[in-house]
Amino acid sequence: MSVVAANPPAPAARSARPGGWGRRLVIAIPYLWLLLLFLAPFLIVLKLSFSTAAIAIPPYTPVFDLGAGWDAFLAKIQEFTTENYAWLAQNSLYWRSYLSSLQIALISTVLTLLIGYPMAYGMARAPAGWRPILVMMVILPFWTSFLIRVYAWIGILRREGLLNQFLLWLGWIDAPLAIQNTNTAVYIGIVYSYLPFMVLPLYAALERMDKTLLEAAADLGSTPLKAFWRITFPLSIPGVVAGCMLVFIPVVGEFVIPDLLGGSETLMIGKTLWSEFFTNRDWPLASAVAILLLLILVVPIVLFQNQQRKAEEAGR
Amino acid sequence: MPHCLARLPLAAAILAGTSAFALAQDRVVNVYNWSDYIEESVLAEFTAETGIRVVYDVYDNNEIVETKLLAGGSGYDLAVPSDANVMRLIQAGALQPLDKSLIPNLANMWPAITDRLAAYDPGNEYAVNYMWGTTGIGYNVAMVAERLGDAPEDSWALVLDPAIASKFADCGIQVLDQPDEMIHAALAYLGIDPGSTDPDDIRRAGDAWKAVRPYIQKFHSSEYINALANGDICLAVGFSGDILQARDRAAEAGAGVEVAYAIPQEGAQMWFDSFVIPRDAPHVAEAHAFIDFMMRPEVAAANSNYVYYANGNLASQSLLNDDVISDTAIYPDLATVERLFTALPYDPRTQRVVTGVWTEVKSGG
Amino acid sequence: MTAATATARTRPMGKSIGPVRRSFAPWLDPDAKPLVEFRGIVKRFGETVAVDHLDLGIYEREFFALLGPSGCGKTTLLRMLAGFENPDEGTVSIDGKSLAGVPPYRRPVNTVFQSYALFPHMTVEANIAFGLKQDRLPKDEIDRRVEEALTLVKLTGMGKRKPDQLSGGQRQRVALARSLAKHPKVLLLDEPLAALDKKLREETQFELADLQQRLGLTFVIVTHDQEEAMTLADRIAVMSKGRIVQVASPAEIYEQPNSRYVADFVGDINILECGLAGRNEGLTRLECPGAGAVILLSQEIAADPGTKVFFAVRPEKMQISLAGPAEPGVNSLYGEVWDIGYLGDVSVYHVRLADGQTVKATVANRTRLVERPITWEDKVWLSWSPDAGIVLTK
Repeated sequence: MSVVAANPPAPAARSARPGGWGRRLVIAIPYLWLLLLFLAPFLIVLKLSFSTAAIAIPPYTPVFDLGAGWDAFLAKIQEFTTENYAWLAQNSLYWRSYLSSLQIALISTVLTLLIGYPMAYGMARAPAGWRPILVMMVILPFWTSFLIRVYAWIGILRREGLLNQFLLWLGWIDAPLAIQNTNTAVYIGIVYSYLPFMVLPLYAALERMDKTLLEAAADLGSTPLKAFWRITFPLSIPGVVAGCMLVFIPVVGEFVIPDLLGGSETLMIGKTLWSEFFTNRDWPLASAVAILLLLILVVPIVLFQNQQRKAEEAGR
Repeated sequence: MPHCLARLPLAAAILAGTSAFALAQDRVVNVYNWSDYIEESVLAEFTAETGIRVVYDVYDNNEIVETKLLAGGSGYDLAVPSDANVMRLIQAGALQPLDKSLIPNLANMWPAITDRLAAYDPGNEYAVNYMWGTTGIGYNVAMVAERLGDAPEDSWALVLDPAIASKFADCGIQVLDQPDEMIHAALAYLGIDPGSTDPDDIRRAGDAWKAVRPYIQKFHSSEYINALANGDICLAVGFSGDILQARDRAAEAGAGVEVAYAIPQEGAQMWFDSFVIPRDAPHVAEAHAFIDFMMRPEVAAANSNYVYYANGNLASQSLLNDDVISDTAIYPDLATVERLFTALPYDPRTQRVVTGVWTEVKSGG
Repeated sequence: MTAATATARTRPMGKSIGPVRRSFAPWLDPDAKPLVEFRGIVKRFGETVAVDHLDLGIYEREFFALLGPSGCGKTTLLRMLAGFENPDEGTVSIDGKSLAGVPPYRRPVNTVFQSYALFPHMTVEANIAFGLKQDRLPKDEIDRRVEEALTLVKLTGMGKRKPDQLSGGQRQRVALARSLAKHPKVLLLDEPLAALDKKLREETQFELADLQQRLGLTFVIVTHDQEEAMTLADRIAVMSKGRIVQVASPAEIYEQPNSRYVADFVGDINILECGLAGRNEGLTRLECPGAGAVILLSQEIAADPGTKVFFAVRPEKMQISLAGPAEPGVNSLYGEVWDIGYLGDVSVYHVRLADGQTVKATVANRTRLVERPITWEDKVWLSWSPDAGIVLTK
């Protein structure tokens, strides 16, 4: 018979009181984070989008002076203008840029999904010992600068590049293909660069899936292909949605890839934004472009999530 | 390579920020220059002679340097923006006038250049020219000869005449993504005053570009350097220095690619990269010392001999290598210089027209 | 250590020996052909031999249990029947037809998985209909069979729910319904009740047995729970290290284990090490010097005198008393009460013999606790009737 030492009673909890400041702090930190790193920059850009370009430091008016008092502040407010948005609405360039960006992002997302899904599937079905290595290999490119990797594609895709030389050597083509500086090159660059963002959430969803479900499907008479469409795919949809969001959203605003790999036909809002900001030094107009881009991206996502939540609640 | 000294702007910013706490005798100058744009040993010599440490940072386009200086608080003591950028920076009040008494070597300057620069910097109060060049046509000698026959290369018709440009569509034409310069070039081709601010003229220039738009592979301000050097494209409208760099790279690579530069006879725009001191520069005295050092004839010559650009220092010309001073692509002959023009930045209203026309050109709208 | 934990798994077996439905014993009929047949099965996983040259026949309408500790190969055997694993050697056949090369989705068997493997994104109805849709049955036939299966497992009205809205027991029933709806020739159950709590498990055991009876299907169940195997099965195969040690009815397994392994695995048993001393007057005589006893029993042992054998006797077949038996030392043991496990319906006495080994005896608590005459440290006699025990040679 063992002797149980009599522990002194635990001292009364000092800090774990519900609603204590410690708990509030823990809740406040993420909000503070959002406030500082998202809301504050957003408000600055929003304010800029109602300003007017000027040759000055900084290159726009009005500029608020916190020391100038309330009346001065109100006076400055009067200087706000919606002219930048009017300009965006009148000028077809911007709408074509937005639409073209959305189109490129959509096609890239579909391509990335088509390539990423089998990869993620293969990884999730690989022997358990291999999986960390395979995940590592997917992440490995991140160890090299993104810019360098996109540059490397110029070397591969250009007229006298590796791909053309290889195809010529194989005898599949007689003259070099014009790939670099076309939308094809942009798609290749985007799919290559964003593939990990598609593969990882898909892999997480597929790997988490209970493999006995597929045995059950087979047991109930379902061929592997049918089991994939009726079991594996529906269960991986959260991963598909996450992967598509992670690819689609940044690709819409992508700048580096269309700049380096795209040609004169490539019209993307990221490039338009860049040239408004840097080449034309029109910070207010560039801010308006950015705000509109945010609305175009965020509004559908919020609507989608709302609808998802409602569907989920209805399912309960 | 000079830009390896301080690749990261952050490093420069940190060094600039901490310099205030450094020992009094630890003098620093924060220089922000184009990448690959200096003879490296010059910096060491400057430090050895003056005891001023050089924190050297680089950029590769005018937009970045202008944006940083306009935003203020960049921490740089010296930058080397181009002509129109200099003018706008002056107008915005982002620069401080030079104390010419601190730069005795200004006596070495080449009036031909200084006078033209004065169009952007009236009275030469803010800027001292470092290097200058032209905006013209770079081409792959073999590819162009094969398609063009014996037609002249030194004409804007090479890119702006649809009948000729179409011949190069298969091998690739790249054009600077610089609305002002490209409108000026098209105006020169059309025989209109390149400095015209008449919206109709600007639209005509835009139409000229739209006519050849289908044959243009890409509008980009730096990619053509590698593309020309590698033989990936046959024509590029670009800056003289960049095209000469492509020429030298192609020659070094020895892959049989020969690049040449032509200044179109219809006239070409001159550009000037000049030293300026930001209004809020922390080390003004050191910045002046640096400019003065750079304007020594032997230093200016060393830099031009290294980077293969023409400089604005007349006294340095006798010290230049022969392959620099007698290369008409670098130092054009007098007849060519006559045809070079300068153009002032557009006023904001015209600028919007130019920008609009250019985006239409690029997007094919 | 308390008595309760030490004896928790030694509940008496006597009351739960199989459902009474006798005269069903096709394995005794030399003309009967087994429905499922394993012949010379070998299955290796790397260096490990999971199933080692195994032969087994299972008959139509039989409720067959594969019993053994984890890693004994019972689940592998089931998975080879379902088609999830292929034997390295030997053949599996159903109805005389080899299943070699037949994928799981073409086999006339269905499985109830230990984890149930319900499709989480489908309703209960859709789960049950899943297998029927694969057979391309007409819609009204599917609806009918879904309803029938739900009725069978008493889940009518639950069809629209999703698996995560069901209790563990309900999920188990859905898994069962999903498999039964397919009307399989053989239903395979892989530890189907392991995740249920004890009370629910016992209830479900009887429902399962009842269902099998009513539907007249062949069930093969894999379990490590001997009580479950005893309750459900017509026959039990006790497995160890990829081999079958004994195949027999629950009563036979319990009363006539063929080895110490089976005797020890099924129920609780006392094993004494003895020497065979000879046979006299129709009785075999064992001498067990360790335990200090002489054992006489009618079982004939085909072995030379002096051979080491094991005498096995179940705790509930022992009588415990303070007074010595008529013939002390013959079919009886003397020792000291070391511990008493009070389990409510019975008490288990742990009696320590002179040589230090402990023997267990179970006594039904017919009278109330306070009147128990034997207590800790009492010197007691344990005795049994001549045919209460069995001699095991291996």
